[in-house]
Amino acid sequence: MTDHEAIGPEPTDPGASETEDGDAGLALERTSLSWTRTAISFAALGGVMLKDNVITGLLILAVVPLIWRLGRPPRSGSPPSGLPTVGALRIRVITASVVGVALLSLVIAVLGPSVPGALHR
Amino acid sequence: MSRSGRFAAWWPRGAEHPEEGREPDPRFTFANERTFLAWSRTALALVVAGLGIVQLLPPFPGVPVGRHLLGVPLIVLGAVLAIVAYGEWVRNQRALRRGDPLPRSVMPWFLAATIAGMAVISAIVLLVSALR
Repeated sequence: MTDHEAIGPEPTDPGASETEDGDAGLALERTSLSWTRTAISFAALGGVMLKDNVITGLLILAVVPLIWRLGRPPRSGSPPSGLPTVGALRIRVITASVVGVALLSLVIAVLGPSVPGALHR
Repeated sequence: MSRSGRFAAWWPRGAEHPEEGREPDPRFTFANERTFLAWSRTALALVVAGLGIVQLLPPFPGVPVGRHLLGVPLIVLGAVLAIVAYGEWVRNQRALRRGDPLPRSVMPWFLAATIAGMAVISAIVLLVSALR
């Protein structure tokens, strides 16, 4: 919950936060790493799903480059702050992806073939 | 508040319309985004756990639907958690833009209720399976 606590303080001047302590750059890096972890989570799930259902696994794996790209910081030529535009679009993409994966998993869980006792082998 | 009013409150108008409030400190915006991503990964973990239970666990003797009883709710709750996380991100971002206090999060309560509920269902399934 550290992340949640970090948003508690009063907002300050965006320019001041960058110039005074340089923490905005670290925040950008932490957020970029968080996006990377999310992409890896999707990749792991896609890899596991490949064993059960190739098409579903490939569909989930296809989302990984998109998530990876969404979380990359901008290259040179970006606004002076170097910060990416924070919008709702990529948040919606993640939400839609997780819900889509959940629906696919639900279909597989209910209708798909299972390998009972696979954990015991 | 009416149902449509509650829905409107969750819709990300405040996050997308710069004229509403002012751009918050980027650190807080990024922290809000990281929190959302962490909840999304938690949702994925619930989905994976549910799928693993249904697909990989051996059947419970005497409870033929036991695996589905445990796995399907986890998958559904994973999807719900992702949607609730989105709503939380919107509410927090709007509060940051307006300089308001952050709204109380329902996510810890939601996750705690999910885990407690699944623990109860697991105990019931195991007990019934053991008694038969």
